[in-house]
Amino acid sequence: MSEVVVDRLNKHYGPVQALHEVSLHVPDGEFLTLLGPSGCGKSTTLFAIAGLDSPSGGRITVGGRDFYNGASGLELPPEKRNLGLVFQSYALWPHMNVRQNLAFPLRLRKVGKKEQDARIEEALALVEMGAYIDRYPHELSGGQQQRVALARTLVFRPSLLLLDEPLSNLDAKLRIKARSWLKQLQRQLGLTTLYVTHDQSEALALSDRIVVMEKGRVSQLGSPEEIYRRPANAFVADFVGASNFLPGDVVDRNAITGTCRVKLAGGDVLTALWPDNSAPPAGSLLTVRPEHVKLSAEPPLPGPDVNILAGRILERAYLGARLLYTLDCGHGMVVMAETETRVEGDTAWLCFAVDDTLLVRA
Amino acid sequence: MSLAEPQSRFFRPDRALLIQAAVALATLALVLGPLVPVLWQSLLDRPLYEADPLFSLDNYVRLFGNPRFHDALGNSVLLALLSTLIATVLGVAFALFLERTDMPGRGWLRNLTLWPMYVSQLVLAFAWFILYGPSGYVTLAVERMAGVPLWDMYTILGMGLLAGTSQAPVVYLFCSSSARMADAMLEDAARSVGAGPLRALWSVSLPLMRPSIIYAALLTFIGSLEMLAVPLVFGKPVGLEFFTTFLYMEGLGAITPDYGLIGAAATLLLVVISILLVIQGLLLRQSKRFVTVRGKAQRPKLAPIGRVGWVVCGLMSLYTALVLLLPLAGIVLRSVTSFLTPLMSPFDLLTLDHFEILFGYEAYRRSILNSVFIAAFGGALATLFVAMVALVAHRSEFRFRRALEFVALYPRAMPGIIAGIGMFWAMLLLPFAHVLQGTIWLLMLAFTMRGIPMAFGALSPTLHQIGRELDQGARSVGADWWTTVRVIILPLMKPALFSAYVLLFLAFLKEYAAAVFLFAPGAEIIGTTMLTFWTNGSTGPVAALSVIQLAITALFVTLARRSLRTNKDV
Ligand SMILES: Nc1ncnc2c1ncn2[C@@H]1O[C@H](COP(=O)(O)OP(=O)(O)OP(=O)(O)O)[C@@H](O)[C@H]1O
Ligand SMILES: [Mg+2]
Repeated sequence: MSEVVVDRLNKHYGPVQALHEVSLHVPDGEFLTLLGPSGCGKSTTLFAIAGLDSPSGGRITVGGRDFYNGASGLELPPEKRNLGLVFQSYALWPHMNVRQNLAFPLRLRKVGKKEQDARIEEALALVEMGAYIDRYPHELSGGQQQRVALARTLVFRPSLLLLDEPLSNLDAKLRIKARSWLKQLQRQLGLTTLYVTHDQSEALALSDRIVVMEKGRVSQLGSPEEIYRRPANAFVADFVGASNFLPGDVVDRNAITGTCRVKLAGGDVLTALWPDNSAPPAGSLLTVRPEHVKLSAEPPLPGPDVNILAGRILERAYLGARLLYTLDCGHGMVVMAETETRVEGDTAWLCFAVDDTLLVRA
Repeated sequence: MSLAEPQSRFFRPDRALLIQAAVALATLALVLGPLVPVLWQSLLDRPLYEADPLFSLDNYVRLFGNPRFHDALGNSVLLALLSTLIATVLGVAFALFLERTDMPGRGWLRNLTLWPMYVSQLVLAFAWFILYGPSGYVTLAVERMAGVPLWDMYTILGMGLLAGTSQAPVVYLFCSSSARMADAMLEDAARSVGAGPLRALWSVSLPLMRPSIIYAALLTFIGSLEMLAVPLVFGKPVGLEFFTTFLYMEGLGAITPDYGLIGAAATLLLVVISILLVIQGLLLRQSKRFVTVRGKAQRPKLAPIGRVGWVVCGLMSLYTALVLLLPLAGIVLRSVTSFLTPLMSPFDLLTLDHFEILFGYEAYRRSILNSVFIAAFGGALATLFVAMVALVAHRSEFRFRRALEFVALYPRAMPGIIAGIGMFWAMLLLPFAHVLQGTIWLLMLAFTMRGIPMAFGALSPTLHQIGRELDQGARSVGADWWTTVRVIILPLMKPALFSAYVLLFLAFLKEYAAAVFLFAPGAEIIGTTMLTFWTNGSTGPVAALSVIQLAITALFVTLARRSLRTNKDV
């Protein structure tokens, strides 16, 4: 009923192209997160769906109804879209108290006074803010304002919830609390939700699926698991925290196991997953997460399931429970390893499972 | 939800677009109304209301061949340069001493320095005339002691002094904010390498203010070019002509006004001021790059200047007394005496005749009532109108909003007298305009047009401060543009609307130049009645009218300040 289809959406700001052929499909009831670095076009996408930003081309359909169609020139004004948008800065109207803020959308919909009161109470109860109904926005804390902002969008029962970094103004602890609370609320209401964030852990924790964006393009769309375990390219891998990238030449490809053997600059040959059907393009990079790299002073047992490298320890950083090592594996290859094991001396052996080693497009 | 029902695009009348287009068209009409007739007339070989005109540049040829115009042009430039110099030196000195030093009496001197801005230049000119004019009270008193007259106000130097001191507050206002923002650390650095406090002000603080100084100087130069009151009071009696008095005399003095010549002269003045404004705009854009506004309000340190401070304080008090307080006292005294001379005690000459004349005749009473009505009611209408212009220009998706802003700011280039001539001519050209002719509504239109840039400037910063997401939020919960404007933005703009109203009220109350071509029996205002009395040589009623205008101003400013204070936390 409120599935969202974004089809080849473009947006130009003069010569700058903020969105480049962005396509998304959000099934009814899904929690989809737009993830990406600052300036990649997340807000622009969200605002285009909300109708607050005019796209330059493409099509947006919500619940089977055209909201925007570049080809026919149709553009529904934002007030006709019935979407709930929560802003990063909350945008509570400072001259209205909580009740008036929530009543405004209802008044616009000609909801009767009694029904208004009932719905306002219901919405405030949902966000556990019933006690603050007569306060003005400046009399509320950041977290409370954020809840009221959410209540204001829930009160008129929008067909779609759009959230633009709603938690970024909260402190780290509150953010984690608000995260699980938000997720619960969304499950409970079954609202289709588009969520914008540049915080990868927030995206992984909240979403049914994640869209990673880069410079106005969709880089990868997949479940949190896929994004984390099988990033489609070096950019996504880097963005979700795989900070080791090793260049090399593909020696051969095993289509049955979905792996490739890659020869590094120093002559070592490593095996990496390549779940694709085509041959990997030249310049592809081998990547492994620092927390998947084990270190040992003695050479580990070789095997078909593990990759082994030798390295010189450049730096040890103490992270509390773990240590972060920076190692030089020769020929300019620097590898980070995050491990609980303590390794003395200057050199160490690196060992990581083939299952954790991935070949990605540059 | 019924709101999301599909609707045919054909049957949705777009309220927002209608309102936006109406506001834009009204603004365009208001600005082009007086502008087009002037430009048009300057190219016609006969008055613009006559049939079958021929196009020619003949008017310009005649204008540049007219020796009277040569004199007027030279005098205008000279006077503008002189008053700019005086205003800038004074204004900058005020800014430095009042904002950057610990001189005593800063609090009340700051207030007093700004007072001349509330007073009409016409009233100030009359007041100076009564005290310092050729037969002025002070002039005669000094002449009796010295034996010879020590000064002559009927000179460009005399006029420059009046015009310069009356515009010094504008320079002070512009430079004071940049003086306040200046980083005290830079001054400290100068001190640490061995400069005294005054030396540090001179070599560090002053150069840092340069962009605002140049900007304010240009503003004063433009203000002096379009000034009518001072040349009229002090130039006309001895035949000194200026750009504006040339237009005034050609338009009102001649039995058959030379339309073509007036059109050409007016166009020329418009072009000159437009060019100056473009230069000013470019300078402003450049100077903005140098301003470093810090988020944290830092309280700049004040330079300790010790005993010099007392001297400066004394000089400034004396200055304020001479240029403002004494003349105002003089005009008050003149309004209640049959005449004013150092030879006789004013207490022997006390009379209420002048006020009796004013209140005894319907036309004079009416001019006061009209002025108050135009200021109070017209000011309110104008405030709402300019608020709409600002909202469309800054807060809408209206396609021509940038063009609208440009049009709205253009009247800065239109001197009052040209606005008056243009409106007058527009009435001759437009088919249904005669219903407006000779009414106070026409005056309101002219004043509103002149007031747009100032009110727009007062509203814009507030509009920029109201976060966009507040209207976006309203739009996303289902409010259309007009509802958003009414329920969200306008209430948040209340304080700015109030300040814009105060500015427009005072401007409308003071305005006279735009009215001299437009007023008619029944539609007189204080300014035009003063000029009529003045032309007849009746100084007493002029003084009485000035006092009434000053009293209304003082009352309004006091009320405005009080309600501003009580409404602060709304
Ligand atoms: N009004 C504008 N004019 C010109 N460029 C713009 C404008 N608004 C956004 N952009 C550009 O469009 C691109 C995408 O902006 P957008 O606001 O969508 O980024 P974002 O992904 O939301 O980033 P952030 O995480 O910082 O909010 C940016 O490169 C930005 O510079
Ligand atoms: Mg953003």
